[in-house]
Amino acid sequence: MPRLLNRVYNPTQRQSLAISASASMVAILLLTLMSIIGFILIRGSAYFWPLDIYTLTYANSQTGVTAQAFAQIRDESMRAPLIMQSGEQGAIKQRTEEQNWWLSYVVEGRVTLSRELLDPANVLSVSKNPNVAEITLTNGETVLANPLFKTPTQTQRQALSNLQEARVNVDYLQQQIESVRRAHLSPIHEELAEFDRLGVANDAPARVRLTQQFYEHQQTIQQYQQQLAQYTLEVVDAQGNVSVLMLSELEHIDFSNQLNTLGKVWVSVSRIWAFLSDEPKQANTAGGVFPALFGTILMVLLMTLIVTPFGVLAAIYLSEYAPNNLMTAALRIGVSNMAGVPSIVYGVFGLGFFIYAIGGSIDSLFYADKLPSPTFGAPGLFWASLTMALLTLPVVVVATEEGLQRVPSGIRASSYALGATKIETIWYTVLPIASPGIMTGVILAIARAAGEVAPLMLVGAVKFAPTLPVDGEFPFLHLERQFMHLGVFIYDGAFHSQTDSQGSSMMFAACLLLLLCVFGLNLIAINLRARLRKRYTQGA
Amino acid sequence: MLNLFEREKLELETLSQEQTAINVEHLDLWFGNKQVLDDVSMRIPKHQITAFIGQSGCGKSTLISSFNRMNDLIDGCRYRGSIEIDGRDINHPRENVARLRANVGMVFQRPNPFPMSIYDNVCYGLKLQGMNLRRALDDAVEQALRDAALWDEVKDRLFESANILSGGQQQRLVFARALALQPEILLLDEPTSALDPLTTLYIEELMINLKKRCTVVIVTHNMQQAARVSDYTAFINQGRLIEYADSDSLFTMPRKKQTEDYITGRYG
Ligand SMILES: Nc1ncnc2c1ncn2[C@@H]1O[C@H](COP(=O)(O)OP(=O)(O)OP(=O)(O)O)[C@@H](O)[C@H]1O
Ligand SMILES: [Mg+2]
Repeated sequence: MPRLLNRVYNPTQRQSLAISASASMVAILLLTLMSIIGFILIRGSAYFWPLDIYTLTYANSQTGVTAQAFAQIRDESMRAPLIMQSGEQGAIKQRTEEQNWWLSYVVEGRVTLSRELLDPANVLSVSKNPNVAEITLTNGETVLANPLFKTPTQTQRQALSNLQEARVNVDYLQQQIESVRRAHLSPIHEELAEFDRLGVANDAPARVRLTQQFYEHQQTIQQYQQQLAQYTLEVVDAQGNVSVLMLSELEHIDFSNQLNTLGKVWVSVSRIWAFLSDEPKQANTAGGVFPALFGTILMVLLMTLIVTPFGVLAAIYLSEYAPNNLMTAALRIGVSNMAGVPSIVYGVFGLGFFIYAIGGSIDSLFYADKLPSPTFGAPGLFWASLTMALLTLPVVVVATEEGLQRVPSGIRASSYALGATKIETIWYTVLPIASPGIMTGVILAIARAAGEVAPLMLVGAVKFAPTLPVDGEFPFLHLERQFMHLGVFIYDGAFHSQTDSQGSSMMFAACLLLLLCVFGLNLIAINLRARLRKRYTQGA
Repeated sequence: MLNLFEREKLELETLSQEQTAINVEHLDLWFGNKQVLDDVSMRIPKHQITAFIGQSGCGKSTLISSFNRMNDLIDGCRYRGSIEIDGRDINHPRENVARLRANVGMVFQRPNPFPMSIYDNVCYGLKLQGMNLRRALDDAVEQALRDAALWDEVKDRLFESANILSGGQQQRLVFARALALQPEILLLDEPTSALDPLTTLYIEELMINLKKRCTVVIVTHNMQQAARVSDYTAFINQGRLIEYADSDSLFTMPRKKQTEDYITGRYG
């Protein structure tokens, strides 16, 4: 082959052939990278964009009855023909098999959500009503409907323009209820429980008085709740059916059809904020991802704290102290091969060794009073971080060793010549100079750890965790708790996505967030490395 | 330079214990199986400058590195014979090597400042010795930089990285770093071979000034330099000490044919 090329092309041509061949490979690589990022970026950010709400008139394919529905169309390819149609108000002319589509979130009757598989053949007309809104409830549900509301003072339905005032009242009432609960009900509850434990008789005067108070406070709350119930939101679906919601159930209302681009951007921003700061709702298909984001970052930070000293010490031993023999060579090969072990193997090891063996013994030694319910003998944050540290250890060791070996021998010699011992030389000169190399290892470790899912599911990451691993309760950082993780969240979302387009968009949004999270962590580390490099680079 | 002509000559063979800085006796040294030094015996006088000359690869660096046991860092290095400094055999297994090296400073051919500030470079040895008082460190740094004729150039940027200095400044910084420890003996391995003539002169002057404070041992390929600055010169060939005498006589009337060939440039 080369000889053939030699005959056909002159040296200059061969040169440019080689260049263009390798350049085209780079182009393909770049293209792949761009399309991955572009895809995630588009699908992920689409989740936040308020979509227009269409009013569809369609003939139900089973019953043949004409019905109406509000719909948002998430799939670009389906929106185009619909929007065309909305001007004409007529039947869709082109019907092809592929144009079967999913329309998401069609409201029918009381806040139940149903999905309707609509054949374009059945859609009779499409229009946009400016009064239809996307209503998000506190439990994460979304309703497409025409909203109206009522307050205790008015008997008539109100326009939405003075909703704000009503919501202030609602908020106030809710706060009242909450404060009564916290200030009076729960202390009484605790005291009653204490009486129970001490075996105080039911008719003891102190107890009777307490019970009396308890009822009084409950009554107050009931009054507040009755007032709350008078603030209602009525939603009218496309068919004209009215359902009643409590105004306190309402999270927010977006009139997508009335928004201009700037308004939509604004709504998107507030949704992104909610996504980042809220808890997941509706089995991880709505709400936010805050606990998962928090868990991911915390796990990665803990892992970094564990793996860096371990990896650096191991690398120091290997490159500075280990004798130059076959054993060391074998060890080195072993370490670099550890990087190739499938991650699930680490997960199984973490579960079998860390959790059952070590965690089990910790429990029987220090938490014997809580057994049989395990404390450290169950998957948790610490074991997950430790497992991930083990998984990323080879990366750190190899990179650190490279960094150590790149320290100029003249520098070491100078340090020794000034009366430094070996440890002093390593600590004061070699390690600082090798620190950019160490950071490279840490960066690679972070990138790897933040993206792993499989081993995490074995050692502590869960779909839903009731509490964060950090809270105000001593000792503040609860290493034994299970935690949520973006990777696991996405994995979970990918299952929902087969049945639920909303869930699938949320999965893409979480994906985007995971990417940004990894980029962000890396950016911090790279920045740190650049700083170290600037500080410790060798002059000529 | 006037004192060059006034110096009194010591008889190297009959140097007394007080006059001797380094006493080398029957030193053999191997790197692996290769013998690099072969039965070297010599006395290096105190407060004088002694130059080592010889062909590349003859073992000059190896010899002076054995005066502060830098050869210990090389795998497969073995030696026999004794080296006495202040009447103590430094090759004794219980010798505190770190303390020895603080006492016997060394400057290498290429300047290699640590990637820290100028101040921290000069402090490095002192901090290792446990000196922590800021005032004392400040004074020591200033003194060392003055001794190395660098103070005026760096006094305004003591806390900037040493890497921004020029090659000649870096070499003087390395001198200052070694001088800060107030060593009794200073080993210089071709300290000026990477420098321009003017900076070389600077450093030569520095060496002559240093004589008052310590014994200087210098390796050089520059015959004029050896003749200019050194009081005594040793010619080494293939690991053997061929001739060792005061510089004036060695350069004007060498006793050995090999020496004469080498200094007149007829050799290798
Ligand atoms: N680390 C080492 N391992 C093995 N052999 C070495 C090592 N360092 C030096 N040698 C050998 O020892 C001999 C003497 O080397 P040395 O560096 O002392 O020579 P030199 O006289 O200083 O030469 P130059 O003038 O070029 O610096 C040389 O033959 C060299 O190959
Ligand atoms: Mg040399």
